[in-house]
Amino acid sequence: MINLVHNEMVKIVRKKRLFIIAAIIAVLVALFTYAQFKHVQDLQERLGTNDWRTQLQQQIIDAQNRLNSSGLSDEWRKYLQIRLQQQQYYLDHDVNPSAPGAPTFMRMFIENSIDLFLPLMVMVIAADLVSSEASGGTIKLLLTRPVKRWRILLSKYIAMILSISFILLSVTIISYLISGAVFGYKGWNLPLLTGFTINGEELNTSNVHLLPQWQYLLIELGLAWFVSIIVGTLTFMLSVLMRSTAAVMGIMLAALISGAILSSMVSSWESAKYLFMVNLRLTDYISGTAPPINGMTLGFSMAVLAVWGFIGFVVSFAVFTKRDVY
Amino acid sequence: MKVTTVKVITILSILASGLWLAGLGMTIKDQFFHGAVSPVKESHLGETANDKKERFYLVALGDSLTRGTGDESGKGYVGYVLDELKGKTKQPISMANLAIKGQRSAGLVKQLQQIEVRRQLQQADVILMTIGGNDLFQGGETLSHFSIDRINKAKVDYLQNLDTIFKTIRTVNPQAIVFYIGLYNPFNDLRDAKTTSAIVRQWNFDSAEIAARYPNIIAVPTFDLFELHVNDYLYSDKFHPNKEGYKRIGERVASLITLTKEEGK
Amino acid sequence: MTKNATLVVTDLRKTIRNKEIIKGLSFELTEGEVFGFLGPNGAGKTTTIRMLVGLIKPTSGHISICGYDLHRQFSKAIRNIGCIVENPELYPYLSGWENLEHFARMVPDIPKERIVEVVELVGLQNRIHDRVRTYSLGMRQRLGIAQALLGKPKILILDEPTNGLDPVGIREMREFIRFLAETEGLSVLVSSHLLSEIQLMCDRVAIMSKGKMIRIDTVEHLLKEQARVAWKVNPVETAKNILSKETVVISVQGGTLITPYEAKQLPKWNEKLVQAGVEVSEIQPKLPTLEDLFIELTGGETID
Repeated sequence: MINLVHNEMVKIVRKKRLFIIAAIIAVLVALFTYAQFKHVQDLQERLGTNDWRTQLQQQIIDAQNRLNSSGLSDEWRKYLQIRLQQQQYYLDHDVNPSAPGAPTFMRMFIENSIDLFLPLMVMVIAADLVSSEASGGTIKLLLTRPVKRWRILLSKYIAMILSISFILLSVTIISYLISGAVFGYKGWNLPLLTGFTINGEELNTSNVHLLPQWQYLLIELGLAWFVSIIVGTLTFMLSVLMRSTAAVMGIMLAALISGAILSSMVSSWESAKYLFMVNLRLTDYISGTAPPINGMTLGFSMAVLAVWGFIGFVVSFAVFTKRDVY
Repeated sequence: MKVTTVKVITILSILASGLWLAGLGMTIKDQFFHGAVSPVKESHLGETANDKKERFYLVALGDSLTRGTGDESGKGYVGYVLDELKGKTKQPISMANLAIKGQRSAGLVKQLQQIEVRRQLQQADVILMTIGGNDLFQGGETLSHFSIDRINKAKVDYLQNLDTIFKTIRTVNPQAIVFYIGLYNPFNDLRDAKTTSAIVRQWNFDSAEIAARYPNIIAVPTFDLFELHVNDYLYSDKFHPNKEGYKRIGERVASLITLTKEEGK
Repeated sequence: MTKNATLVVTDLRKTIRNKEIIKGLSFELTEGEVFGFLGPNGAGKTTTIRMLVGLIKPTSGHISICGYDLHRQFSKAIRNIGCIVENPELYPYLSGWENLEHFARMVPDIPKERIVEVVELVGLQNRIHDRVRTYSLGMRQRLGIAQALLGKPKILILDEPTNGLDPVGIREMREFIRFLAETEGLSVLVSSHLLSEIQLMCDRVAIMSKGKMIRIDTVEHLLKEQARVAWKVNPVETAKNILSKETVVISVQGGTLITPYEAKQLPKWNEKLVQAGVEVSEIQPKLPTLEDLFIELTGGETID
């Protein structure tokens, strides 16, 4: 098995996909770092202070004023309300949720990339794992070895998981190094609040507790890893089912983008919460952002994703081991 | 060399997998089985106050008037005050606008209990505020269903709240000069102008009385600014001032600030 | 002289969507023989080959490789087969060496020396560390064979091994295949659309049509039945009359007559023609091609 996984890793590495992904991450991180830097500067200029409390207070007031405007959609109103309560909670407890520093930037980067950017990068790896062998004809050579088919597929699956881990590792390291150059490399022990639960429009703070930022980050990365593996598994399944890598990419892309769109408008379509793509933003539960549909919790979303992943896994193996190869 | 690249990447990936798995485990432990909640400390005011500053700090409190509703440039009178002051002094000036649209006196009382708001008040050199407009007009309702009884009732509550507000400000920051900006009558052009004007005048008078109980709280009238040609200075909602209206208020307040500052020196 | 059978196929059938594509094939391969597979498009050659290497599951029938049943003991059975199915498709982004390493890792106990050995066997030493992307079709074909030989198989299955090779390459390949069969004792199953190639390379030939095997026989046998002689003569009519008395004139093409080939009779026939004043400018034995035979057997179906 180790040999088989080694083979798959050789192929992934030699296709240069991982380096391309690392390069994309580097470019994006640099871009976001600059944007964040500009944002901080602008805020400082506007408020004439770099005191985070004043800035946060100002954000709260802005939100309150926005809440008092008419013509606000219900979802947006609810979102603002919960955010406001949360910001107030941070302020009341003297905890700065966005203290500058590379770890804070990493946290925000992961939170913002978990539902689209990371899955996209995973797709680049997973989409052609099987389909490229089928379209390139090498599958014939692969399957005429004295190795059972399920072992070949499993080795590919393991290689995919390893690549996902590697992608996340690159995100972590690259974003730390690049953003640290601007914001400084400190802030690992910054306390952060988690455990917010949302009941309708109210923020329930009874379970709120402090976590040092490094732990918070590790939790978020763990969740990002989980999401990536599920998306990877589904892409993997499509890759088994289809010969064309482009078709696999197209379908996954459509699903992911529709998920992003749906999340912002499905609050009245209750059963949409069983779709995998609206459940990708797991980190939102940690930071306490309102979920797109009432009644969604971390446990629920993880369970939904796990079921989708399991189905994808089973279908991949069932099809791959049975199918005739032409 | 190529072989080692693959090996290094593979080993890194395996290690990273372990790390992320640990993160996932931690998530489950932390989010699902978080037993005893470690109490999160509330912050206290005293610790944060000693922030030696050289800048001139302006804090604005109140309702939509302070927010600047109706001014298409978004500045409001606070913005014009700031502009004027910046033109007159080289000292760096910063400002926090804590006003909330539609806020009434009771809301402001509550807002002043927030630690961060207090902290900012503490640092303030000048405090600008408008309050009461929503207590009196209740979004125009009071005047359409005109009833002296109801207005008087609202006024009792309002005056009490106003007293609390001033008291709080003075406790938190005994030095800052507070400009309490009075009401104008936006309905000066309408049928009942006489009655409404009387009510607003009385309201302003009673408010000024309260202000007079505390040192360095100055009631700034605006009634006169809007008495003539009221419609020229009102926004299309016939309630909030427009750009010109705000400019007039701003100019008046700004002139007062410079004076008071020089007196202080 | 009985040789051991390495591959035994009995009553192999495949049905796809209620349509029977392979209708009961049975044949054997023995050690050291080269077996040719011929058939027109859609005859079921490729499907059969894919079933032999386990890519397609037969609907019924048995495939036994060196005594192991292909489906019950897949790993043991397939170890004894090396194959190229259709084109030699390898990973273009890896070097030839890396490709071989890749496949070597999938089979237990293949030392590095074996890789060196097969590379030398197919003569790719000079380019083995270049990327496969840069290889010519002939080089890929050789690399494909190298990959098939890695696990020291008893049976080699080659689909179109001379496809895309230049004449020199074709001859080399032919000699190489003969060498493998004769010296190394491999059973080689070859399919090709170049019938002449099969004729030169194979000991036995199976002719397939519409999912059935119409004929399996040694090349020698098949050809004997069909030998011809072409006579270039003048005047044609006189010659035709004379030859008709001796043998059968199969056809007349311009100034050329075709008759069956009988080595002992040829001088006698020639003498008669010359005596009758017929000018014989050319006597050419026309060794029959499998193509002729093939067309006869399959009733003129086109060959792929």
